[in-house]
Amino acid sequence: MYYHTIGKSLLLMFFLGFYSTNAQENNLFKELNNLTNDKVTYSPPAFKALQIGNLQSTKMVGQKEFYMLVAHRFGYLKGGINDFYGLDQANTKIQFLYGIKKKIQIGISRDSYNKTYSGSGKVSIKKQSESFPINLVLYNSMDINTLIKKISYPGLLFFDRFAYTTQVLMSRRFSENLSLAITPVYVRKNLIDLNYTKNPILTSNEPLSFITEPWNQYLLALGGRYKFSKRMSLNMDYAYNLSKNKNSLYKNPLTVGIDIETGGHVFQLLFTNSRSSSDAVFLTETLGDWSKGDISFGFNILRIF
Amino acid sequence: MKRTNLIIIILFTSIVCNAQKYYTRSGVTEFNASEKAFEPVVAINNSTTAIFDINTGEVVGQVFIASFEFKNALMQEHFNENYMESSSYPKAIFKGKIDNFSKDRLKTVSEFDLVGILTVRGKEKKISTKVLVKEINKKLIITSNFMVKPEYFYIKIPSIVQEKIANQIQISIKYELVEKK
Repeated sequence: MYYHTIGKSLLLMFFLGFYSTNAQENNLFKELNNLTNDKVTYSPPAFKALQIGNLQSTKMVGQKEFYMLVAHRFGYLKGGINDFYGLDQANTKIQFLYGIKKKIQIGISRDSYNKTYSGSGKVSIKKQSESFPINLVLYNSMDINTLIKKISYPGLLFFDRFAYTTQVLMSRRFSENLSLAITPVYVRKNLIDLNYTKNPILTSNEPLSFITEPWNQYLLALGGRYKFSKRMSLNMDYAYNLSKNKNSLYKNPLTVGIDIETGGHVFQLLFTNSRSSSDAVFLTETLGDWSKGDISFGFNILRIF
Repeated sequence: MKRTNLIIIILFTSIVCNAQKYYTRSGVTEFNASEKAFEPVVAINNSTTAIFDINTGEVVGQVFIASFEFKNALMQEHFNENYMESSSYPKAIFKGKIDNFSKDRLKTVSEFDLVGILTVRGKEKKISTKVLVKEINKKLIITSNFMVKPEYFYIKIPSIVQEKIANQIQISIKYELVEKK
């Protein structure tokens, strides 16, 4: 009985030993997995470029990185061959951006539309991770319209030229390919165009109904992108103006485009009903109507130094 | 009687299982794919885990691709999204063996042969290299470097950036292993 058990246990030990040498590498690997800390701090950005199309995305300029953005918005395509499908009338914006800190970026720009000078700041509050569902970024911009002249508007004060936007950019990368953004926007304009209405002011019975544009406007912007290849994506953004009067001739901006990333550049080819690419202007003063074919071709070229 | 046997077996097997192992959670893995006259393509990973069994010479290690840090945030993004596809292949794994390992030679820096399989992007490649090992304050300091090529792991580099990324990528490791108890 005693020897029998010893024999059994020896056999067992033999097999155990056999098993353990054979599976040692795998056991070692299991031990390794137990050791491994699964925390990866890197979170891939929801968008490739700083803008989805016209709307700001949650993407930031990296620390000490220097970007140049050249944006063109051409005339309406419906101008036909006579206008070379809008290419005869280009608005150009040149913007320089710099990441002063890991989570803070600043930019300055000049847009031909309204001869607008702009300054902007963007601060990343939180990145999407396993513990936080969205990318949260604050964005502020200030546009200075230098087209309007004091000769035409004698009462014009310097600060009348200013328009500001404050935007809370929220985005989520739902999958490798799909990212969506939702952005509440507040726009403050120091100067509004009282005459810009469908109906002449005199026929209006309601007091103040001629004010088609309030000084303070609230918009809700939506955007998204779908990556259809490693370096290309289809993008779209739209802003719904909650403060706009029915009589207003201004339209909500809708932009559809494609991102092409080539390493040092991101090219964004897009179609939009806005002729401007300055924030306050494209959000609240877009004139084109998609349903009437007031669509412009445009592109943003982002160069990274 | 049976109980004593059982205890002997348990003791014995536990001795077998408690082979001397050394490990790290903060190994440094670095790679350099720079070409002269272009922006350096260099990244460092400070959270490599590795275990080394000094009785058998077996060694395993792994890194998270997304934990490689670059100076240039955009380069890191391209590395993860375009080249390594770290969302699909989050880890690189090494399983190998130091053949002629002997603990007696650790008083000074000694060279050993390491052979193993490196798995990146789900593709396996046999790696043979030399490792330098030294024991300092009960820690095993292991350093090594070896070359890999992007095509080993089916990493496609578009022609537009081909001249900026080296054809041979140097991988350097420095692990300080402590005894696992």
